[in-house]
Amino acid sequence: MRTLRQDLVLRKVGDDYIMVDPGQGMVDLSKVHTLNETAAWLWENLAGKDVTVERVADLLCEHYEVMPEKATSDAIALIQEFEAAGLFAT
Amino acid sequence: MGTVKSHFYEVAGLQFELRCDPELDTDMLLPSFTGFRKRNADSEISVAVVTLTEGEIREDGEMGILRSDISLVWGDNFRFYERENTFATQIKHHVREREWLMVSTRDFKESVIYGNASDPRTGELLSWLLMVVFGQVGLQYQRILIHASVIAHREKEGVAFLGKSGTGKSTHSRLWLQHVPETELLNDDNPAIRIEDNGRVFIYGTPWSGKTPCYKNKKVELKAFVRLEQAPYNKFTKQENIHSLIAVLPSCTAIRWNKVLFQAMTDTLSRIVDNVMVGKLECLPDAEAAYLSSAAVFGNQSTFFE
Repeated sequence: MRTLRQDLVLRKVGDDYIMVDPGQGMVDLSKVHTLNETAAWLWENLAGKDVTVERVADLLCEHYEVMPEKATSDAIALIQEFEAAGLFAT
Repeated sequence: MGTVKSHFYEVAGLQFELRCDPELDTDMLLPSFTGFRKRNADSEISVAVVTLTEGEIREDGEMGILRSDISLVWGDNFRFYERENTFATQIKHHVREREWLMVSTRDFKESVIYGNASDPRTGELLSWLLMVVFGQVGLQYQRILIHASVIAHREKEGVAFLGKSGTGKSTHSRLWLQHVPETELLNDDNPAIRIEDNGRVFIYGTPWSGKTPCYKNKKVELKAFVRLEQAPYNKFTKQENIHSLIAVLPSCTAIRWNKVLFQAMTDTLSRIVDNVMVGKLECLPDAEAAYLSSAAVFGNQSTFFE
């Protein structure tokens, strides 16, 4: 099961949605992630759940007026971005 | 240990307690704390208790996971360890009797310092260890200890200058004192910031001010953070949204190995930057830089400049 990290807290600063990821090494490599409004909404709705392409695509279809094919390709892209940014629990 | 005496201090509205040998002259050891001393304090409202223990056998065995050995103040002699239920701050010395160790609970509300009061560095060490404690405990009460030089304008409003070591924070404060009327230095290194429930943000003087003896027990409303960068010109740029957070975050004190404390810090800071102006000043060390930043923060007031 692929789930979102629970230790990251989504916050709104001004108009931006951000998460501060404290680096755990000797050298401070803390990161600040920015999410757009859609990604932030998905983050909140995916908490604790198994993040699959189907689930993300379904959420997108329910919430936004989007065709299933577009929702699926967006879901794949989002999961890849979350993966690259290290936002999934290990 | 025999009898102990409690000394109470209040910084940024938070009371903490130092327990030590009654013979120890704390006012002499900690001169920067005298203005923060609280008499007739109620022990029950202390947010942190720090006990100085001398001549006791310290813990043996594993120190824990080494988390940091980076300190501007202590150089190669600093070690910070994480253990199962505690954090350990160590100041090493080639003479074993001069080694200092502070063991703190994970929330830093209780700490024990193992040291030796005959060490000539006792005052300096105690002051610094108390700063470590205050920096972490304060996070749980919406206070953040911040690395900044800060001026107070008309005794009402504060402006905090941020930047890496050697950028010229103190220099920029001096330029304000010289060229902007009705300004005074509030703190030159480690003021504390706080957001109240109503959203108002205050900045406080503390007993920690780096190399400048400026230990004012005062607060003013925080008007702006200005991150300084050296440049061959002067330019002020307002920082919005995520950029405002990124400009201030590196100057804040929070250990990264306690997620509760770190999240408390980012939570408070996110709210603070939503309520306070944040700017970036690329600058020269000249009067024009001070005019530019003061105009950006307070607006161009015709009677403002000398």
